Amino acid sequence: MGKIEWAMWANEQALASGLILLAGGIVGVAGQFRGWEFAAYAVAAGVFVCLLEYPRSKRAKGTSVERSGQYCFTVCVKAFGPLTRNYYVRAFLHAAICVPGGFMLATVLGCVCLGIASLIYLAAAIRGEHWEPILPRKDVRKPVAESIKNPPQNPPPRPPPETRRKQAKDLEGAAYDNPSSVTDD
Amino acid sequence: MAVSVRSWVANEGGKHLVLMLWLGANTWLFLRTYLLYSTGQQYHYLYKMLGLGLCISRASASVLNLNCCLVLLPMCRSLLTFIRGTHTVSSRKTRRLLDKSKSFHVACGVAICLFSAVHVSAHLVNVVNFSLSYSDDFPALNLARYRGEVRLPNVSNHDHPVRSASVLFPGVTGVLLVLILLLMFISSSYCIRVSNYEIFWYTHNLFIVFYTILMVHMVGGALKYQTNLKAHPPGCLRTNQSNSKLQDEDLVQAEDDDIRCREDAHFEPHYPQTWLWVSGPLCLYCVERLYRYIRSSDPVTIVTAIRHPCNVVELRMLKKDFKARPGQYIVLNCPGVSSFENHPFTLTKCPTANKETFGIHLRVVGDWTDRFTQLLLPPPRADMEILPMVQQRRYPKVFVDGPFGGPSEDVFNYDVSLCVAGGIGVTPFACVLQALLDGWRGFRLQRLYFVWVCKEIQSFYWFAELLCALHKKLWQENRPDYFNLKLYVSCTESLQRMSEERYRPLSSRLLVGRPKWKMILDEIGKSNKKRVGVFCCGPKSISKTLHRLCNSTRSSGTVFEFNKESFS
Repeated sequence: MGKIEWAMWANEQALASGLILLAGGIVGVAGQFRGWEFAAYAVAAGVFVCLLEYPRSKRAKGTSVERSGQYCFTVCVKAFGPLTRNYYVRAFLHAAICVPGGFMLATVLGCVCLGIASLIYLAAAIRGEHWEPILPRKDVRKPVAESIKNPPQNPPPRPPPETRRKQAKDLEGAAYDNPSSVTDD
Repeated sequence: MAVSVRSWVANEGGKHLVLMLWLGANTWLFLRTYLLYSTGQQYHYLYKMLGLGLCISRASASVLNLNCCLVLLPMCRSLLTFIRGTHTVSSRKTRRLLDKSKSFHVACGVAICLFSAVHVSAHLVNVVNFSLSYSDDFPALNLARYRGEVRLPNVSNHDHPVRSASVLFPGVTGVLLVLILLLMFISSSYCIRVSNYEIFWYTHNLFIVFYTILMVHMVGGALKYQTNLKAHPPGCLRTNQSNSKLQDEDLVQAEDDDIRCREDAHFEPHYPQTWLWVSGPLCLYCVERLYRYIRSSDPVTIVTAIRHPCNVVELRMLKKDFKARPGQYIVLNCPGVSSFENHPFTLTKCPTANKETFGIHLRVVGDWTDRFTQLLLPPPRADMEILPMVQQRRYPKVFVDGPFGGPSEDVFNYDVSLCVAGGIGVTPFACVLQALLDGWRGFRLQRLYFVWVCKEIQSFYWFAELLCALHKKLWQENRPDYFNLKLYVSCTESLQRMSEERYRPLSSRLLVGRPKWKMILDEIGKSNKKRVGVFCCGPKSISKTLHRLCNSTRSSGTVFEFNKESFS
């Protein structure tokens, strides 16, 4: 169990919790239940958590598959620097966000799921993981070799004049002699 | 490429038929329960209180019961392997359906999540309706403690803000169930399964907690049905009340009709019925897990471990009473590497009557295989003597679970088969070729086309001996058309060749570049007018292309049946 990347699971869990919190909040506000203010807060909190968790982190080992259209989110999240890089901050942030959701039935599920995500982030932070943005790799062109700029000055060496004249007269003798035969004789 | 109806029906027909049957069963169950609650006499008063929410919540509950029952069945792997092996019971069509058991499991799982969401929303609506239409006539039917407990803000309440209705036992169990379901669902996404399989495995094993809570979910239920229908026909209370305003003659007339209430309505909550649906498959699955545990409890003896080029290690093992067919796979557990991780590997050599060893080829990718290879073949230490000495090789202890069936078992059941392998995906077919080498006459198979695509030429050395031996044997026994081999090296950058004399059959059939699948299928179709079984084990790009080609029209009219083996 040594090499599990907890952050990936925490990210999936937190994104799903954000969506559930949002859905529960919408239901609570639309139904005008008692305590609907908590539901309105849950809508805002859900949207915030979704935006924060949408960009996937780069994996320490292996290929990272990014979510579709996550580049602009990556740039925004990267702009906050160590606040979003560090998973301790995320763990405590999620723990704090989820508490008001527990006061209303419609949002209690989102609250518990986000709490679980916060615990997994804590585990990831203790293991020393951090968030790395997935940025498009710029292809480094191989520098053009020097020899391409200096073409050879002299023509290739030619055989001496006697052989050259012999080749012009005797085409048969000058033909390429195949060292090995094609058929087995 | 036009999709041919005949090919499509041959390839996709069975799967879609099962899907339609399953959808039909779900729809029928939903509608039946819906109508029961909306028109049933015993639910008359309850329906008047709750309305649509009652019907939808109960209908989705019955669909949930069905799917929770069905979701366990495709995961009983030993049972499915047994069904696959009994040729008298199952036809080739049934065996092809068994290949899709994981997809069926996923479909049932998604249905469970979907209908749980519907069920929870409908019950939330019920809670609201219980408080809005608080019934003064039938106090036993109520769930709310007073009218407007839930919504109206001007009714002050000193209680805890969490609504007391949810503190009821079904409410608490319901929240727990949805929580476990969400945990299981979220950790079974594709990226987590591919990167950290253990997280998926351990959270998925919470299913036992899920099923235990599910079976007691309805205890102390809030929805009650009326028990004394004969004595108190529903709707008669109003008749009684209005009767008091009638004249005496009308009263006498009314008494002759059968619409008098003789007593008050009695209500009883339902007994939990989920256990009727769920206990059978749950017991079956638990028995299967126990059987697999017992079967894998005695360790195997490792006979030898050989290192091959391109990071592949061959492992030969011996186990008492181990029987396997070509195309099956085993699951390996090595406590020396990790006590809880289990990894599947296809068998590359099955035990036969003459030789009882069985073998796997494993490619070193990932930390488990890396560590396992280090335990099997420790790298030579620098301070070891130069003279070769007989080493006391101490191999790690290994447990083997299986064998489990795979789609490649059916290669022998077609007249003509095409096996396409990509890289290490050749392992199921290696076992097939080994079985042909031992005796090729006993099978229905009359011709085998084998296409193996690799990135590097060194990979072909894994099974070069086997391929050459089979080729030579068939030539000597005057059946050169039985085995048709095509090797492709897809990496075209560096010039690669196999120069050994004894591997001439391979080097003469080696082509550089990616294979042109359409041309290969056309060539096979022209030479064979029978149904051709296509078996693919390789990267997604190859299997997608082949699947599409198998479904499309062929000028020769041959039907290609596509079978895929996947390693994830």
